[in-house]
Amino acid sequence: MTITVALVGNGGIGTQDHQNSMYRPAFERHPGFQVVGSVDEAEVLSIALPLAERGKAVADAIRAGKHVLADKPLAATLAEALEIERLAAEHRVVVVPAHHQRFGAALRSATAAVRAGRVGLPWNVQCDFVVAGGDPAPTGELVNFGLYPVDVVRALLGLEVRRVHATGSPDLVTLLLDHDHGVTSTIVCGRVPALRDLPPGGLAVHRYRISGSHGVLAVDARKPALQVRTTNTNGPVWTGPGTVDALLDVVAAGVASGRAAIGPHDAVQAQRVIEAAQRSIEAGQPVETGE
Amino acid sequence: MDRIGIVLVGAGFIADAHSGAIDADPRATLIGIVDADPGRAAAFARKQGGIRHAPDLDTALQWPGVDAVILCTPNDTHAPIGLAVAAAGKHLLVEKPLATTVADARRLARAFDAADTVLVAAHTHRFYDYGRAVKQTIESGSIGRPRLVRLAILGGWIWPDWSAWVGDPDRSGGHALHNGVHLLDLATWWLGQEPTEIFARGRKQTAAELRIYDYLEMVVTYADGATAVCEMSRAHRPGSLAQRELLVAGSEGIVEQGWDGESSLVFGEAGTATLPAAGGNGFAAQLGAWLDAIGGAPPLMPVADAVRAVVLGVAVEESIVTGKPVAVTA
Repeated sequence: MTITVALVGNGGIGTQDHQNSMYRPAFERHPGFQVVGSVDEAEVLSIALPLAERGKAVADAIRAGKHVLADKPLAATLAEALEIERLAAEHRVVVVPAHHQRFGAALRSATAAVRAGRVGLPWNVQCDFVVAGGDPAPTGELVNFGLYPVDVVRALLGLEVRRVHATGSPDLVTLLLDHDHGVTSTIVCGRVPALRDLPPGGLAVHRYRISGSHGVLAVDARKPALQVRTTNTNGPVWTGPGTVDALLDVVAAGVASGRAAIGPHDAVQAQRVIEAAQRSIEAGQPVETGE
Repeated sequence: MDRIGIVLVGAGFIADAHSGAIDADPRATLIGIVDADPGRAAAFARKQGGIRHAPDLDTALQWPGVDAVILCTPNDTHAPIGLAVAAAGKHLLVEKPLATTVADARRLARAFDAADTVLVAAHTHRFYDYGRAVKQTIESGSIGRPRLVRLAILGGWIWPDWSAWVGDPDRSGGHALHNGVHLLDLATWWLGQEPTEIFARGRKQTAAELRIYDYLEMVVTYADGATAVCEMSRAHRPGSLAQRELLVAGSEGIVEQGWDGESSLVFGEAGTATLPAAGGNGFAAQLGAWLDAIGGAPPLMPVADAVRAVVLGVAVEESIVTGKPVAVTA
């Protein structure tokens, strides 16, 4: 039995239209979903409105009893995200923020391996999340996609962030995070100019190194991929399901079970880190996340 | 032209790398070895074909033909021995760090400037193939203005037991001074900018009782807004799998070398290990540049840069203790 989904909005930050570039094609090819034209007919709303309108639309959808897939970030502010978390619990609907990077095949395996103790007790994570080309976000890239690697690191470690020091520029920022148990992580996140053989907005570097008491896990999150070289091209070809396809699996499972593998709490925690990073950049000092 | 006569001071493991470089350069000759342990000095001398040996520097400085000294002793001795070398009018190649305090580093700089002899600190990574290749790539302009350096040199515990002088911060200056300065100098040299701030975190990973941080994460902010994130580790396990990773992001492109960018990988019954490519001899290139400078060429590792590396290393140690950024001015 398929789940009905309506597509709401085709805006985002700056010129983004993730609805048509990402979610619509993923819903259309997913066997578990049927795209419908009317919000009233839909069990799930895929909401990709401009960021300023997004939080209110998600809240309204929850109040109407709809499950939600929300473009990232879930809301423009921590306060808005907290209200969405509260509403989702109250109305018992599934709200999935589109933190799809954590569902990449290599990262799902890595998360399972770390949580199973394959590197012992993890004590540090290093991450580079560097996009090449595409339209720069008018908000700066910290707000635009900083939450992706923050979310992945949270998933890898299962540890909240307590303190943030941020440095760099709005388009290429370094986040130094302190987690529970003295664990640290560092994320370099941003955008560099377009690079040859990479699609605009593609990930030039996306990797994680998890150091533990008994080993190291080095993850290239651009894998699994083939390297295809032809007379005219040279580039990776992703193999297996994409990260957005995997995200829709999460939505489908969440609707079926009433509980999704990722929810508004993850968006709240990511937003805490992003806002703490903004405060840190302003203050030039480490700041507490305030949780 | 007469060959430049060199005395090695300190017969520890790094002395072999320096003596090998001297052997490879026809402009230099190794006159003798000094080590406080007479037996160790004698053994090193025999291995070198019967060169002179002595337990003290004063004796060695009187040997005929001595023009220069290579100093490989514990870090806290660099300043007093270096000042004696300057007073004797000899040139000096000193293992990094130049000194363990900023005041001593500046004192050495002034002494060699006054003596008009050449002082170089052994920031050898500037002379390794990868270090030079990254510098050349940046200077070619192909990646535009560099804005970010990521540099990680990771390995396991390599020092002896609790008696190791490196583990004593009073002797080594701490890990930031001992090894961290390699990365701090290299990243700064690559970027060609003046550092303005350091934020650092350290761990005592191998043992909670350590007095130095065997894992360092050092973040440098530069005057033009660029950032360098430098990791130096002797804390990683397994220690058999050394890794070096680098990423430089510029306004027009990026330079990368992953952990497998230079080394091959050995999958053996004893485990997995990297096998570094043979490549060039960084110590020989470093020695050659020092000899060039003695001959009047501009030094490739200026004294001011060595002083700056000490400033940065000291700031790293301070930032780790305070948990706060530290403003720096070289």
